[in-house]
Amino acid sequence: MNKPFLRKQLSILLRDAALIVALAMLVGMAVNIRLLWNVWSGEIPGSAVLNEPGSENEPLPMPISLAELSDLSADEVLLLDARHVDLYLQGHLPAARSLPWGEIESRLDDFRREVPLHNTLVVYCSGYGCEDSFLLAQRLMAAGYEDVRVFEGGMPEWRDAGLPVEKGQP
Amino acid sequence: MNKFRSIFYHLCRLLLGGIFLYAGVVKVMDPVGFAGEIANYQILPYRLNFLVAATLPFVEMLAGSLLMLNYKVRPASLVIGGLNLVFIVALSSLLMRGLDIDCGCFRPGAHSSATTALWRDVGFMVLAVVTFVGSGRRGT
Repeated sequence: MNKPFLRKQLSILLRDAALIVALAMLVGMAVNIRLLWNVWSGEIPGSAVLNEPGSENEPLPMPISLAELSDLSADEVLLLDARHVDLYLQGHLPAARSLPWGEIESRLDDFRREVPLHNTLVVYCSGYGCEDSFLLAQRLMAAGYEDVRVFEGGMPEWRDAGLPVEKGQP
Repeated sequence: MNKFRSIFYHLCRLLLGGIFLYAGVVKVMDPVGFAGEIANYQILPYRLNFLVAATLPFVEMLAGSLLMLNYKVRPASLVIGGLNLVFIVALSSLLMRGLDIDCGCFRPGAHSSATTALWRDVGFMVLAVVTFVGSGRRGT
């Protein structure tokens, strides 16, 4: 086989492979256009908890975007990290307090004694549809807290935006 | 001997196509969960994890379907080989960094360690090479 023939075969092969990838990506973007739009505009990317049937009767926490959260000062809100304490110690949002979802029932009484019910709380976990922040926020609302928000992007969105991260206990 | 080679080639093609079609279908159901699995690798920035989660399952499904339909087998196996190479590099980087996470290779939340996934991807790579070379001999 001569060189020009092989070169032509290779270029057809690469063109077809690129077409397969491009076509599939276009379809994927079209199917998930709403999700991608939400992510790019900083809105919540849809949560399994929010979409659960039957949850419409329960009070749902309001979402808060990265832009809104980063504009707030530590005096205005109390940040709560709903992840396991090991993940919290590896890195958390500045001034955030650890309140793992799995420990809420044993720590709720102490928490209520320390934090007044009118305080604004912002709960986060590991992002990407992580449910712990929603579950913790709903539990806090049921316990009487009036203004509880969920930062659904959580630790990954905060860290990847280049914002400061604290390690260990605050 | 030629008949044996032909059966072996078609088995590899169908197996590889079926695996990638299945892997794409199960991931396409939960793009947010899959984005979380990709984020565990700590390689891509936040938004790109969602873009990959939204598009990668469709690449897997299309390439897998083409292999099963015996149409455009060479470029489809090249795409799958390329994906496998990316998966192998990502999994190796996980192991080198000592991160122990679920690979997110199939259904989000299904548990499979990085080492198991790495060996499985090496096996898929062998299938992709056999399919690519075999299809070249047939001109498909």
